[in-house]
Amino acid sequence: MSDTAPPPGPLQLLVNGILHENPVFRLALSLCPAVAVTTTVLNGLILGVAVLAVQVLSSVTVALVRGAIHPRVRIPVYTIIIAVWVSAIDMTLAAFFPALYAQVGLYVKLIVAFAIIISRLEVFASRQPLVPSFFDGLGMGLGFLLALVTIGAFRELLGNGSFAGIALVPRPLLFFALPAGGFFSIALLMAFFNRIDRAASGGAKRPAAGGSHHG
Amino acid sequence: MSDTLVQIDGAPRPPMDPREVARIAVNLAVVCALSAVVLGGVFMGTERYQKAASLAREQRAVVDMLALGSDARVLEVRQFLAPEKREVVYRVKPYGDEAAPVREVVFSLEGALRSTRAAAAATVPAGLVPLGRLFVAQRSGQPAGFVIEGESRGYKNRIRFFVALDTAFTVQGVRVVEHEEDPGLGAEVATTWFQGQFVGRTADRVVRIDVAKVPMPEDWRAALNGLAGEPAGAWRAKHAALITREAGQPIYAVTGATISSRALTRGVRTTVDHFRRRWALLAPQLGGQP
Repeated sequence: MSDTAPPPGPLQLLVNGILHENPVFRLALSLCPAVAVTTTVLNGLILGVAVLAVQVLSSVTVALVRGAIHPRVRIPVYTIIIAVWVSAIDMTLAAFFPALYAQVGLYVKLIVAFAIIISRLEVFASRQPLVPSFFDGLGMGLGFLLALVTIGAFRELLGNGSFAGIALVPRPLLFFALPAGGFFSIALLMAFFNRIDRAASGGAKRPAAGGSHHG
Repeated sequence: MSDTLVQIDGAPRPPMDPREVARIAVNLAVVCALSAVVLGGVFMGTERYQKAASLAREQRAVVDMLALGSDARVLEVRQFLAPEKREVVYRVKPYGDEAAPVREVVFSLEGALRSTRAAAAATVPAGLVPLGRLFVAQRSGQPAGFVIEGESRGYKNRIRFFVALDTAFTVQGVRVVEHEEDPGLGAEVATTWFQGQFVGRTADRVVRIDVAKVPMPEDWRAALNGLAGEPAGAWRAKHAALITREAGQPIYAVTGATISSRALTRGVRTTVDHFRRRWALLAPQLGGQP
């Protein structure tokens, strides 16, 4: 994407983040945290909302100040911007949602190192104006949120036999609640997601998820 | 834009212009200063609520750990050091009542009682260094149990915890109330099963306790895993034989988190040790036997 390319429309950006470039199922970014927190649907939801907020706030901030950031130190500056918003959200959660914070507080601080956030700043928000950057952040954040909720629901149902804490299945398979089961769950959902996407696009093959990404 | 980016192809880079270096430094400094302002603002806006939330959590933990009936009352004892006067000051008041009058009990560093007097409620006199807190449950004027606050340096940041003792100084429970250890590793020391290892140990044993990096016996692990869903009293009765067997053993470290395991274990050890000595001095002032 160059500086001169016209930015896509808001709806297109949202759909892009949720489907075509879904951070977890398509870009395969931030898989470690996606595995770590998604043992229950509620944990996935809370962390997903926190990531959504950090992504939107960071994208907007970078889009606003991109002209003033020296290119040689742009990565440290992005990191500082992400860290500021993560700390702000961390303090807000601790103050107003102590019960939730007791459950996910430790994971919230880790959002600083989520590859998806800094990659959207570098790839998109640093080259585009405010409004498209906002929608890109919103789309990517929603994509991540939906992925975490889906994985969380899948693993809680199979691994713990419950949904949002309500017991449903009498004999759960503990495997899915463990980290290895998390990776299997993501792989299964990713395959399912690819299948749907291919059917929707009339059988055309899309290139596989980005193998060069890490984190 | 590409000519100013850092080159990654290994080609020799021309030396940087000093003015360019200065611009980068100013750029980063401004970013950091603005970040500090934003963080400071959010902190000032949330601190009050965060403190209230953590106080409420603490109160629940204290009441829960002491397993009190409605007839018991809890005293909060805050310990301070007055370095200039070479004194240790205990400020005693009913727990949870910030407006209640405070009783001050003052000892010399050698442990001689200097004075007891009523003091103003809210304000702690300047020059006092806080050393920690303890909570004393009283039933008809007699001590019925203790919760002692302790702190230890964990892998990443301080670990703050409570230790509950009965009147014979046997551990009733250990609970981490604040920590920043890694999820899945050090954070495991805040789980019911790890903290349950301390339950039922006498103070004489706790003050010599250490950590072992060996696997936990399966029957003990199974028992500790059951602690989360059961009241502590019923759990202790059910597993009395196992608890007695393990009371002489070291604490089994969390795999991959020896530093955190050691931090909490040693913290509990020194907290109990200090408390025993403090209580010997303080007990006659609070209606108990030393």
